[in-house]
Amino acid sequence: MAKPGEFSKTEIPPGTLYMLILKTLEGGPRHGYGIAQRIHQLSHDVLRVEEGSLYPALQRMLIKGWVVAEWRTSETNRRARFYRLTPLGRKQLGAEVSEFDRVMQAIVRVLETA
Amino acid sequence: MGWLSELGRRLTFFLRRGRFHRELDDEMRTHVELKTQNHLQHGLPPDAARYAARREFGNPVLLREQSIDFWAYRWIEQFGADLRVGLRMLVKNPGFATVAVLTLALGIGANSVIFSVVSTMLLRKPPVRDPDRLMMLFSRNIGAAGTSDEANRSPVSPPDFLDWRAQTTAFEAIAGASSFENDTHVTLSGGSEPERVPGGEVSANYFEVLGISPLLGRAFLPGEDQAGHNRVMLLRADLWKRSFGADPRVLGRAVKVNGDAYTVIGVMPDTFRQLWIFPEQLWIPLAFTPAQMSPAARAERSLSVFGRLRPGVSEVQARSELETIARRIAAGNPETNKDWGGNVLTLQEYAIQESNAGPALAFLMAAVGFVLLIACANLANLLLARNANRQREFAIRAALGAGRFRVARQLLSECLLLALLGGGLGLLFATWGVHLLHGLFNWNEWSLLISEQLSIDRNVLLFTLAVSVATAMIFGLAPAFQISRRDPNSALKEGSRSSTASREHHRLQNLLVAGQLALSLILLVGAGLFAKGFVDEMHSKPGMNPHKVLTASVSLTGAVYQDPAQQVAFFQNVLRRLGNSPEAESAALASDLPFTFPGRAYFLIEGRPAPQPNSKDWRLSWAGCFAISPGYFHTTQIPLRAGREFTSADDASSSPVVIVNEAFAQKFFSEGALGRYISVSPERGPSAGSPESTKPVWREIVGVVGNVNEYVGQSTWRPHVFVPMLQQPDGSMNLVVRLRADPAAFAASVRRAVWSVDKDQPVTNFRTMDRVLLDSSQGDNVMAELMGAFAVIALVMAAVGIYGLIAYLVGRRTHELGVRMALGARRREVLLLVLRSSMPMLLAGVGVGFLISLAMPHLVTASFQDFHVHSGWILVGTPVTVLLVALASCYFPARRASRVEPTVALRCE
Repeated sequence: MAKPGEFSKTEIPPGTLYMLILKTLEGGPRHGYGIAQRIHQLSHDVLRVEEGSLYPALQRMLIKGWVVAEWRTSETNRRARFYRLTPLGRKQLGAEVSEFDRVMQAIVRVLETA
Repeated sequence: MGWLSELGRRLTFFLRRGRFHRELDDEMRTHVELKTQNHLQHGLPPDAARYAARREFGNPVLLREQSIDFWAYRWIEQFGADLRVGLRMLVKNPGFATVAVLTLALGIGANSVIFSVVSTMLLRKPPVRDPDRLMMLFSRNIGAAGTSDEANRSPVSPPDFLDWRAQTTAFEAIAGASSFENDTHVTLSGGSEPERVPGGEVSANYFEVLGISPLLGRAFLPGEDQAGHNRVMLLRADLWKRSFGADPRVLGRAVKVNGDAYTVIGVMPDTFRQLWIFPEQLWIPLAFTPAQMSPAARAERSLSVFGRLRPGVSEVQARSELETIARRIAAGNPETNKDWGGNVLTLQEYAIQESNAGPALAFLMAAVGFVLLIACANLANLLLARNANRQREFAIRAALGAGRFRVARQLLSECLLLALLGGGLGLLFATWGVHLLHGLFNWNEWSLLISEQLSIDRNVLLFTLAVSVATAMIFGLAPAFQISRRDPNSALKEGSRSSTASREHHRLQNLLVAGQLALSLILLVGAGLFAKGFVDEMHSKPGMNPHKVLTASVSLTGAVYQDPAQQVAFFQNVLRRLGNSPEAESAALASDLPFTFPGRAYFLIEGRPAPQPNSKDWRLSWAGCFAISPGYFHTTQIPLRAGREFTSADDASSSPVVIVNEAFAQKFFSEGALGRYISVSPERGPSAGSPESTKPVWREIVGVVGNVNEYVGQSTWRPHVFVPMLQQPDGSMNLVVRLRADPAAFAASVRRAVWSVDKDQPVTNFRTMDRVLLDSSQGDNVMAELMGAFAVIALVMAAVGIYGLIAYLVGRRTHELGVRMALGARRREVLLLVLRSSMPMLLAGVGVGFLISLAMPHLVTASFQDFHVHSGWILVGTPVTVLLVALASCYFPARRASRVEPTVALRCE
């Protein structure tokens, strides 16, 4: 019997997890589950992160100073830790996106001409 | 900066990790709950929803650890956890813990004790300002160089010293002190009782060069080392406390030193005692007499010279500068300084060379190292046995995802815990051992100084810590490696029934036991050689009868006794009083005792040409010289081989006579010595001038006596000459009294006899002749005792190790042995079976040990001069003994195994 999440599971390209998290936070603070859901929705179920792996990544981003965290009550009346983008995180997002674009364009060029 | 702030962050995190864990757990739980709700909304049944949410989330424990990794050092936390687990394990197995910690404590403690001696003698920096820049300057006898280190650190003559001081640029200042090698005791009166204390004559700037300030009063001023200004003295704090009750009014007091009055001007701190090469307890200025500064005095090398390097000058530069200066002096004064150069050493280098303790300490460190290795092997075997019972535990850990490295690390942490506990207890043992050593180090003056300084210092603490950690790695590595290699799957299956454990396992254990046997055998042979050497020395014919003889020293002080006739009168009076006491069988006097180094005398033989100075014959024309009273040979029971003893008729008014020993007679008079004439010029102090310049006094040889050594174990007899005290008086003599009863109890009578003649004369250095012999063995007995003690500890440890291993192996085989017995094997056969299976291990160990120990006699004789030992039976007897002990250790557990009822054995699982 097929379980939800077992099919159409595509690993995200390595190194892009930070970028994806930063992007989802651009629209406003979210908690961990919210970030996972958002990536899930926006990618139309193509991209799935192993949801737990968000948390080590978030810890690392906290240390880097790209995000800050605070405990708040969520819309469903639960206490949850919300992560918010810092100006440094915004700058990092810009840098990662343009780097990603550069690499993608290069790959696309290779695929089209070769 | 980056790594520092990171370190700070990680450490602060470590302290607040509880809150972090809670928050992260909350967050993850919320996530999973939200996800579960989501699945429920999609119509999944509750169980499946929860399951799916967990699956999608991943392993929360692993994720948590990954998160922590960013914040802190995971290993700190894991190490803490490992230690906690280790501690729990030890508490649950108190028997194992006790045996292990005690074994380690013994091994580590023995190492710490010996290392404390190494630290005291070789490692401690002298207690002076900036010790690395304080040098000692020496004359270097190029002619004798290469033969021994000693030639490279000869004392310096006063004129050379003055020239060096004037010409050197490498040193800020240099200072002289009358040499440590001479007997510089001075008699102090004016304190509560006359006393002989070691003292020194030093340049005025001596303390400035050393960088030591007075505790009280002042040090010497420039110019106070000039004749006429030199009647001032300094006391060391302990002498000040002992003899002057720490009275600050001692400053300005007049004190007699060697009969001359000196004014006390200051008290120097005790820190001096921290280096055994500084025995002095009082100092007077070093003022040279005109004779000491004459060109001929360049040959009288007697000073120790200290210099403080100028900043930026290296030891090597200083040495080459001094060499240049010495060459220049040698060119100008070829008679006295030909082939004499200069040498520079740090104080510490000097102490190391002078103590000559290197080989002995190396042997002792090796011995305790062996003991510790044997302890490690025991521990490793204990752990291997214990780990065999923990197979399942480790298999479960592995099945739960612990890596091999992780399991090995946990085991090593447990070992570290054991080793640290053992090291701690070992330190406790070591303080006790150092206390024992204090009592053992008493064979001469400097050994007493070392004993005084012996303690567990910082070096020893660091060493103990390092040894403990290293020990843990040594005994823990093999078991940890082994356990981490096991396949958890098979271990889980095997754990339930262990009638035959894996082969390799036991090969390692057998190897360890064989190694233990080899090590303890080598150690026992070494100890045996030292013990045999010592016993041989003590039983070698001393040439006299040392039992029931008391000796004491008297050095006459005071202006009255400048007159030789007064010296003679004093000593004759004392002798008469001693001879009259009923306990004494006979009494005599001698300038030097047997089994001590006598003063040297230059001699000429009548009818033979006088040799050229410094020629080979000249060097042979020196003999040990003793001034003795009539009755000396009778009292010491040195046998008279020919002629007669001195009598009271051999005095200053009668014709000069001399007695020689057999070695002298055989060496110089193959045709018979009696009736021949020689002249004898004793070497007396630096101002005596060259001995050959005086006109010879021909003495008739009236007697030949048996040989006596200058120290225990001396391999060749040295030529000795004896002159009558009445013809050659000396102010410094030793009393030798042969008693009918216990000699030690007679000391008070000797003191009374001396003081009844003159109450101002100190009597010191009471020793029985047996003790004199023991002292002259230079601590060989201590070496033999220490080596013996360590060897016995090693053998006992090895025996315990063998016993433990066999008992364990037999225990594992109980079931198998039960089957054999049920099938009809007899007890004897079972016993033999067990013994036979352990034979290869025992024989291998003893065999390897035997082969290595064959090299021991060479090693010992190469390391110690004058060490001769006939080692035959030790090399054969020791392996046999070790093998017997090993067999006995096997026999008892084997016998127990053979006595178990088969029915009981079969039921045993």
